[in-house]
Amino acid sequence: MSEILRVEDLRVYYHLPQGVVKAVDGVSFSLNRGEILGVAGESGSGKSTLALALAGLLRPPAVIESGRIIFNGLDLTRLGEGEWRRLRGRKISMVFQDPSTYLNPVYTSGFQVAEVYEAHRGGRISRYMDLVKDLYRKVKMADPERRVHSYPHQMSGGMKQRVLISMAIAEKPDLIIADEPTSALDVTIQAEIIELLREIRAETGSSIIFITHDLALLLEIADRIMIMYAGKIVELGRSSEIREKPLHPYTRGLLSVLKPERKQKLASIPGSIPSLIDPPKGCRFHPRCPMAMPECSRIEPKTIKVNGRIVSCLLYEG
Amino acid sequence: MSLVNYVIYRLSQAFITFLGASLLIFLFVRLLPGDPARLIAGPEALEEDIQMIRAQLGLDRPLYEQFATYMVSLLKGDLGTSIKYSTPVLDEILARLPYTLVLAFTAEALAVAAAVPLGILAALKPRSLVSQLVSVLAVVGASLPVFWTGLMLIFIFSVELKLLPSSGSGSPKHLILPSVTLAFFLIGNLARITRAAVMESLASNHVVTARAKGLSLGKILTRHVLRNSLIPILTVASVQLGALLGGAVVTETVFAWPGIGSLLIDSLFFRDYPLAQGVIMFTVGAFILINIVTDILYALVDPRVREVLWKTV
Repeated sequence: MSEILRVEDLRVYYHLPQGVVKAVDGVSFSLNRGEILGVAGESGSGKSTLALALAGLLRPPAVIESGRIIFNGLDLTRLGEGEWRRLRGRKISMVFQDPSTYLNPVYTSGFQVAEVYEAHRGGRISRYMDLVKDLYRKVKMADPERRVHSYPHQMSGGMKQRVLISMAIAEKPDLIIADEPTSALDVTIQAEIIELLREIRAETGSSIIFITHDLALLLEIADRIMIMYAGKIVELGRSSEIREKPLHPYTRGLLSVLKPERKQKLASIPGSIPSLIDPPKGCRFHPRCPMAMPECSRIEPKTIKVNGRIVSCLLYEG
Repeated sequence: MSLVNYVIYRLSQAFITFLGASLLIFLFVRLLPGDPARLIAGPEALEEDIQMIRAQLGLDRPLYEQFATYMVSLLKGDLGTSIKYSTPVLDEILARLPYTLVLAFTAEALAVAAAVPLGILAALKPRSLVSQLVSVLAVVGASLPVFWTGLMLIFIFSVELKLLPSSGSGSPKHLILPSVTLAFFLIGNLARITRAAVMESLASNHVVTARAKGLSLGKILTRHVLRNSLIPILTVASVQLGALLGGAVVTETVFAWPGIGSLLIDSLFFRDYPLAQGVIMFTVGAFILINIVTDILYALVDPRVREVLWKTV
């Protein structure tokens, strides 16, 4: 399998008056062509910041401090806005969480999708309406002929997400980043959207980075899963491996929340995600970790490989 | 078709508003202390003469009777005869109207042309000098009295530099100082509203989508930021224009500009009831009309408004 994306020691910091928020703090991973990589983590784990960094959509006060993002041999952290503009929507595209607010209320859905073609191929918007209708058929939009003329407020949440997906796949990009694409939708629509993303991958060979807090969803759809905690990767492995044999205590916690023992009450991991301005010393998870050892509060765990998997925990070091 | 229906609906509504307004105006004008008959007759006049003039003007009859007469002729399109000039009120208003229209539209156009670009620049660079200038203009422009700005401009450009006429009308040159005076008063507020609206649009999620598509900065700004910021800008600009059409009373007085505003002052000083009523009725009409036009512009900008408005018909 050929590698399409390699992220090396990426750090994205928000420079706020209260201090520096280290939202992504030394993240490395790679992605193969046609692969679906799931990224899981709680709110505040840095997963959405990672998504925006990969799509070149960070805005001040967020800054890439260091690290490299190698996409098709090109270091994206060195690109200027003009080069990014030609890349975005054509080679790298994004699907966002809340389809209602990510569409402009004053234009028809068809116009907004056709803008992708206009941006990269030029010419008039109206020239691309037939292509948009084809896209709508591909994403299984009901009544594509009529829907290209609909405004966002005339469409349901599921339809609007299909509009955003149409934009994302219009130019058959190499990489689609989906940030919580189903969280705002109800469960049946959720399942349809997931199925749709799978079909798109099969048809176009696009790689997909699927970001969600819903680990159960990832276990179903992703080839590999990356677990993030407080701006760092704590574990990365094949979905089946993560499911069968989670290594990191945090991953185990997430899984136990999914599959509670019969007699147990609703399970949860005690505590909450730490401040990223002043993260705990040593392992960032140690204050909440059921298996914490004295040295966990002193020594920051290295990222190590265990049978081809990646984990960052002192239990597996030395 | 729905646009036509909507306009008909709004105009019929406006007619009712107009009738209500005419009653209020009729009463309020008569609440003014003073008596037109006494003013016409002069300070030395005999009481009989005053009574005679009052009878001529119909002011001796009971109020409801005067109102009925007034309304009947109003519905016929007759605004009555000016007490002071003895000419039809409508003629007086029509003679002044072009001046007010020219001044109001020029001032508002100047304000929009300066304030909207300023507001956009300020929104794009919130910590820049332009942004601070907008904040200062908003306070200064709105707090400096128009007559003071006007006098300063006259002092600089007419008295010292001798570039522009200080008062009167007749040439485009005469228009410059009064319209700049008014525009200066309007710019700050309009620029501040523009900045706020553009900043809000800039921060909205659909702009992130626009960037993610690979759209150029120019298209992002015009299509996805400016168009979405238009409604608050339209609102403020139309209220400003409405107020100007009612006559910029102080500015017209300072520059001896023969518009509706100075006509109103004139008619009120002379207790010229028909003329004052006519001018105020005209102001009400201008406001109603501008409101309708503004609502239609909203509908053109935002499809959600369109749907709601057309449904009210």
